[in-house]
Amino acid sequence: MRMFATIAKLLVKRVLTAIPILLIVSALLFCILRILPVDPAAMSLPPNATVQEVEAMRAEMGLNLPLYQQYGIWLNKLFHGDIGRSIHFRQDVTSLIGSTLPATIELAVIAMGVATVFGLAGGLFLFYVRGTRAEAAMDFLSILLLSLPEFLWSLFLLLIFGVFFEVLPFTGRLSPGFERPVVTGFLLLDSLITGKIPTFLNALEHMILPCLALGIALSPSLMRVLRSSLLDAYQDDYIQQARLRGLSEKRILIRHGLKNAILPTLSLMGVQFGFLFGGTLLVEIIYSYPGMGNLMVDAIRNADLPIIQGAGLTYCIAVLVISIVVDSLYLILNPKLRVR
Amino acid sequence: MAIPSANNPILSAKNLCVESLGGKESFPVLTDLNFSLEPGKILGLVGESGAGKSMIGRTISQYLPNGFSVTKGTLAFDGEDLVTMAAERRRNLLGRDIAFIPQEPLSGLNPVLTVGQQMKEHLLRIGLAAGENWRERALKEFEAVHLPHGAALLEKYPHQLSGGMCQRILIAMAFASRPRLLIADEPTTALDVTIQARIVKLIAEMQKRDGTAVIFITHDLRLASQISDEIMVLYAGRPAERGPAKQLFSAPAHPYTRCLQLANPNISGPRRGLFILPERMPGLRVLKELKGCRFASRCPNAIEACTETEPPLADIGPNHIAACIRTEKTPDIVPPPLAPGREIASTRIHLNGEKLTKAYTTAWSPFAKRSAFKAVNSVDFTLGEGEFVGIVGESGSGKSSLARLVVGLDTPTDGRITLAGRDVTANGRSEKAYRRQYIQMVFQDPQSALNPRRRIGSIVTQANEASGLHTGARERMDRAAELLKEIGLPPDAAMRFPSQLSGGQKQRVNIARALCTLPRILVADEIVSGLDVSVQAQLLDLLLKLRDEHGFSMLFISHDLSVVRYLCDRVLVMYRGEVVENGETETVFADPRHPYTRSLLAAVPPDDVNTEWSPVAAEAGYQIE
Amino acid sequence: MRPLPLWLKSGRVQTGLVIIFILAVCAIFAPYLAPNDPNEQNLLSILTPPIWADGGDAMFPLGTDSLGRCVLSRLIFGARVALTVAFSASIGAMIIGAFFAHVAGYFGGWVDWLIGRVVEIWLSFPPVILSLILMVGLGTGLRNVVLAIVLVDWTRFCRVLRSEVIVLRRRDYVSAAQLVGFSHWRTITREILPGTLPLLITLMSLEMGVAIIVEAILSFVGMSVGSETAAWGQMIADARQNIYDAPFNLIAPIFAIFFAVFGFNILGDGLRRTLDTRLTQTERT
Ligand SMILES: Nc1ncnc2c1ncn2[C@@H]1O[C@H](COP(=O)(O)OP(=O)(O)OP(=O)(O)O)[C@@H](O)[C@H]1O
Ligand code: SF4
Ligand SMILES: [Mg+2]
Repeated sequence: MRMFATIAKLLVKRVLTAIPILLIVSALLFCILRILPVDPAAMSLPPNATVQEVEAMRAEMGLNLPLYQQYGIWLNKLFHGDIGRSIHFRQDVTSLIGSTLPATIELAVIAMGVATVFGLAGGLFLFYVRGTRAEAAMDFLSILLLSLPEFLWSLFLLLIFGVFFEVLPFTGRLSPGFERPVVTGFLLLDSLITGKIPTFLNALEHMILPCLALGIALSPSLMRVLRSSLLDAYQDDYIQQARLRGLSEKRILIRHGLKNAILPTLSLMGVQFGFLFGGTLLVEIIYSYPGMGNLMVDAIRNADLPIIQGAGLTYCIAVLVISIVVDSLYLILNPKLRVR
Repeated sequence: MAIPSANNPILSAKNLCVESLGGKESFPVLTDLNFSLEPGKILGLVGESGAGKSMIGRTISQYLPNGFSVTKGTLAFDGEDLVTMAAERRRNLLGRDIAFIPQEPLSGLNPVLTVGQQMKEHLLRIGLAAGENWRERALKEFEAVHLPHGAALLEKYPHQLSGGMCQRILIAMAFASRPRLLIADEPTTALDVTIQARIVKLIAEMQKRDGTAVIFITHDLRLASQISDEIMVLYAGRPAERGPAKQLFSAPAHPYTRCLQLANPNISGPRRGLFILPERMPGLRVLKELKGCRFASRCPNAIEACTETEPPLADIGPNHIAACIRTEKTPDIVPPPLAPGREIASTRIHLNGEKLTKAYTTAWSPFAKRSAFKAVNSVDFTLGEGEFVGIVGESGSGKSSLARLVVGLDTPTDGRITLAGRDVTANGRSEKAYRRQYIQMVFQDPQSALNPRRRIGSIVTQANEASGLHTGARERMDRAAELLKEIGLPPDAAMRFPSQLSGGQKQRVNIARALCTLPRILVADEIVSGLDVSVQAQLLDLLLKLRDEHGFSMLFISHDLSVVRYLCDRVLVMYRGEVVENGETETVFADPRHPYTRSLLAAVPPDDVNTEWSPVAAEAGYQIE
Repeated sequence: MRPLPLWLKSGRVQTGLVIIFILAVCAIFAPYLAPNDPNEQNLLSILTPPIWADGGDAMFPLGTDSLGRCVLSRLIFGARVALTVAFSASIGAMIIGAFFAHVAGYFGGWVDWLIGRVVEIWLSFPPVILSLILMVGLGTGLRNVVLAIVLVDWTRFCRVLRSEVIVLRRRDYVSAAQLVGFSHWRTITREILPGTLPLLITLMSLEMGVAIIVEAILSFVGMSVGSETAAWGQMIADARQNIYDAPFNLIAPIFAIFFAVFGFNILGDGLRRTLDTRLTQTERT
């Protein structure tokens, strides 16, 4: 019962501190993008518009006002759920993000699962072979893996499984000919809900390469942290004491070692998963996966400010949510923070 | 040699040798260990750090550090050799028939599991409880070690408990299975004196209840003689002497035992000088080459013959053996006369604190209100010229916080400090500069007090680097050489790094740095704690010698009452941030007025083995836990 | 001759240094090493395979891309961008990050709080996204790439170094230095910095790898140096169009990036081991 209260307190506190962070982030976004050489007014008019027309448009868009007033207006609209209209797509940014965000979340969440499984298994294995000759080799291998970011993994897996062996699809979320069911926006979920198993399987196939690329790329750093935290934990007295009480090595590892070593690993995950969410952008481009990353890059290429601002803010919110979730988990697992 | 006995010994070692592998060579860590321990008896293992005390415990569990192994001999538990026994069989004995109590109680329990979860795990493994009835059993065990509120305790995590409580829990766990052998490795070193006494008593009580044989490892000969039936003194991996506790303590046969005893200041009776054991115990590398008696280089009774062959452990009395060829000369070793009592040259007061208070607040944040905690609460004190004033008190009583206020590392939240006639309470730039001429500090932990990346020569003359004091490299080197000579280190030490020195040498460097600018006042925070008695005696002697030369005064913080008695003219007793007693050392120790002081004094094991050691239960209001 | 310092004896450090040396030679002597002008388009021989494959051309040892440019020459010239970015960005990020880390960790209080919050805000942006947005704001060009990476990655240094500074700050030798009258500046530079230096060097080596990756990512999406300069990320973007016809054009720059990043990582790992620093992970409370 007390645990829930503490977690609730943490949640409230974190959400409250997230608000000023988001305000500052949005101000930063706004400023960075306002120093841009392109003129959003001119961009939203046909190329043959006259100078007067552009001026009128500028006035209408509020671009003549001082920067802070512009920000105020923008923020006010933001509160009403209006991030603006895409100049390029001629569509509301909210609906554009709404239609791409679920795809990105789906990708990120599965990739986090992959990273966790590989990271924990690899870390345990690295720890298991400690002090043997295999350790040096494995350690070297983990540095090799560490040098391959998700960006290279994506291309690499695509080349091997997509191009050379042609066993897995590597563009989009569904093969042509499949109908996309829309309920929640999460494709895997929707196809299950609507009972379209073939669609589900096809979508799953499309997820394999991008998720593997993201997950594998992240796992070496988790492995290494878990390994070193386990080594640290095994330096502590309570492990020795557990041995002297005659507990089996397996039990010591799981109940005493891992339970402590998971804490530093978890706090690294909080940061890394935030990075992973940003990493989806590249993976989406490489696999032509219709998520927020592709939307963002399209917007950048077209200097489509409202989308860049909106998507940028969405990425920040996602990172904050991830870090709040991880922090709550940390709190649950670490009694030192939970009880005084 | 083995002590004849009617009972079968529970543990017996025969010619046990343990070696460590360093590179291609191997070095002896334990040499020819022979002893046997009968059921229900307590064997005290005494020796300086590095003598191999803990290695015996580790050999019993066979969890030896990497590269260490038993190369010869047997170590039999109830007739079965633990060394050659199958690992699974040995593991089965651990926690059931053989139990351990660790040195650091707080880290001996898993921080992420509740006390209950850990107790349950243990009870279920040894088969004392099944299913849900572990709870009752656990409470029963807690009751036996006098832990109140057992049921609430089960839900607690280790970090919510004090060190003493954690140690009680570990003792309850150890005795839950009614083990036949218990190894307690310095079980009280990390605890406050008052708690130490009670933990030792508790172990003895539990041991009696179950008839457990105990190996009690400690560096404190006085403590060992109080609790043990038999004592074995180890020197450099080999027993120097073994015998019945009382006899060994009152009439030590081996010079080392005698020297150890005399190196420790006494707590009762007239003060005596300290015997200074020179140098250090030989290292493993030296030992390997060594021919004769391993104590010869430090022994006051050594003669030519001592360096020829290793003296055997010879019988010198009933059940009493010693490895020395001149045991008859041992009683001739006497402490040097006490340094003549100095007269305090003038009654001038150097330093004066009035109602000093320091409240620590939580970390800065614009949102949370900072909560304050008074580590030092309205403390009055004075320090006269040439005077040594001791500050004693349990951990967390505010001793170090007071020291930080005095030297200006912290600014008091209330009260006044006057230094040589000037008010330095404000602790601004000019006060700091003024203070610097008068006060320096010697820090507790030499590991953390010496920058590992500086050479010794640069550390001791560090003050010359500070603004306004720049001196040439030549002068600095000369000054360093001078300082090193004063503190008794060889001149070539100047070019070494701290990691290349021993703990005692580091502490000397620590003192030299503070002395560099010839301050009038030294503040020394626990500078001898954690050091071996022989090194401690060397340092105490050094401080007295330096005082004779330079005439500084000192605030000496220590938890060791006998050291304070030896060194200090006056003593302040602190309890929870306040000074509860303040007076001449002899008066306070002979006639303590405050109940807390009384319980502190009673907690020290007496000098005389025949005196009953009865740590009084602290009086109401001064209960520690 | 003085014996080699310990860190230079480590095989990892040596491997890393050799790789970086090779890359540096490529970058510095690119005009002499490259067989062709990296931007010269040979429209008559586009997408030629590497020399060992059927139809390989000795003129283009690693083949040509879809515009007939020599892949090997572009790889060699690409090392210039990569290394310039690696060195300048990591030095810039190190200076800013280390400065704030030392100030925050040493002084504590509201300074620490403020710097901590700024880092928190930074961390709420995934680095890739932040650098893209910065590039949109700053415009393309080598200088801006470096600037963007510095602005994004200084927090990596700040976060990790700060906790190390706090550990060192609590050491008694820092108090001792203050007591003998060291100024804050002198205490930081003489007592704390020597202690954080090994970690700092290690982080810098790792950061160089990160900078190379970020530059490749930016040039992959066309937000780095202009198309007139050869860059590895750009080569990947170009090769992606012809993935079936000329997979090797994709493999070559991937390998180049991997090779460079591996060099810096193995150097960093070797330094970490030999300089005995704990790469403490983020302390979260
Ligand atoms: N910087 C600080 N911030 C907050 N609390 C502190 C700080 N320094 C000391 N304290 C607290 O003040 C109290 C007194 O601590 P202090 O270190 O002075 O005790 P001590 O008598 O020297 O103990 P020990 O024998 O363990 O050295 C303790 O409860 C400690 O936790
Ligand atoms: S044998 Fe000689 S050197 Fe050794 S302890 Fe006895 S008297 Fe001292
Ligand atoms: Mg203290």
